[in-house]
Amino acid sequence: MEEQKQQTAHTSGGSGVISLRPLQLSDVDDFMVWATDPDVVRFCTWEPYTSRDDALAYIAGTILPHPYCRAICLDGRPVGSLSVTRNEAAGDACRGELGYVLGSGYWGRGIATEAVKMAVAEVFGGARPELERVQAVVDVENEASQRVLEKAGFRREGVMRKYFMLKGRTRDAVMFSRLSTDDDS
Amino acid sequence: MEIEPMAVSLRPFRISDADDFLSFAGDDRVTRFLRWKTLASREEALATIRDVCIPHPWRRAVCVGDRCIGFVSMWPGSGDDRCRADIGYGVAREWWGKGVATRAVRMALSQVFGDFPDVLRIQAFVGVDSKASQRVLEKAGFTRDGLLRKYAYLKGNLQDLYLYSFLSTDVVPAD
Repeated sequence: MEEQKQQTAHTSGGSGVISLRPLQLSDVDDFMVWATDPDVVRFCTWEPYTSRDDALAYIAGTILPHPYCRAICLDGRPVGSLSVTRNEAAGDACRGELGYVLGSGYWGRGIATEAVKMAVAEVFGGARPELERVQAVVDVENEASQRVLEKAGFRREGVMRKYFMLKGRTRDAVMFSRLSTDDDS
Repeated sequence: MEIEPMAVSLRPFRISDADDFLSFAGDDRVTRFLRWKTLASREEALATIRDVCIPHPWRRAVCVGDRCIGFVSMWPGSGDDRCRADIGYGVAREWWGKGVATRAVRMALSQVFGDFPDVLRIQAFVGVDSKASQRVLEKAGFTRDGLLRKYAYLKGNLQDLYLYSFLSTDVVPAD
């Protein structure tokens, strides 16, 4: 009976309940597991964290006041995080940009896909009432992340050549989007 | 009928451009697809030239002879976005259909990469209904990257926008 209950909740890849909740200062040790991992930050604009104090400062200064930032939890324990930005200019307020990271020990189990689907439902469901569009800008070489977004119902809009700098190198990036009006595919 | 190539030039804005600037920046037909508020007076034109056009990272008056009949702007990014810049442009209504905007954009492309050595990509956001502007970019050699759905508001209306790009390694097509 217990196992069947697990199956009907948000589960993927065979084990564990996936949930989203705000990330707290008390999550810093779990944060350090993924944020210090070079495989995890390969396509992030930032370098791996090396200091718990830096991590605490980041959580306090950037994550706590963020318009939408959530820990991705597996059975209640943070294993990654995601966020949707807010634009200051009124003309750009309709869109937010999604980013996410997941501990490398949890890759390949559909966890990021499930977390992205849950986040999209939350932001369009009232957490971010001003948003019409959630977009994601993904490095052309980050095929795993492109698959996450496709499975989560995002539409691939095009490739933007030499769009941004990643750790000092120019990168081509794919633009994905999901609208509040998109049907589940 | 296309304007003679030598007749169009780009130069920095001057305070003395105020009347010419008002003439097109005060025209709703020109500002329709821009985020600009249509100017209503010579005082507003003077203030805009002084406070926006002259201190701008890169804004040029598009001139026929020495008379200002339009503008081209480049907005470079910073930090990890320093490799790209956004282009915007507008031309007085009476100069439409003569290839002026295409000429001005081509000239801007020939200058901007030298002025901003970090910039490798110029991009333009164009409304799906803004057919004339799409033609300007295509004739200047831009590539259409894709359609960005519900990307931004323009004067209160949610817009689908085409994204176009031109790289420092791209070639401007022959006239």
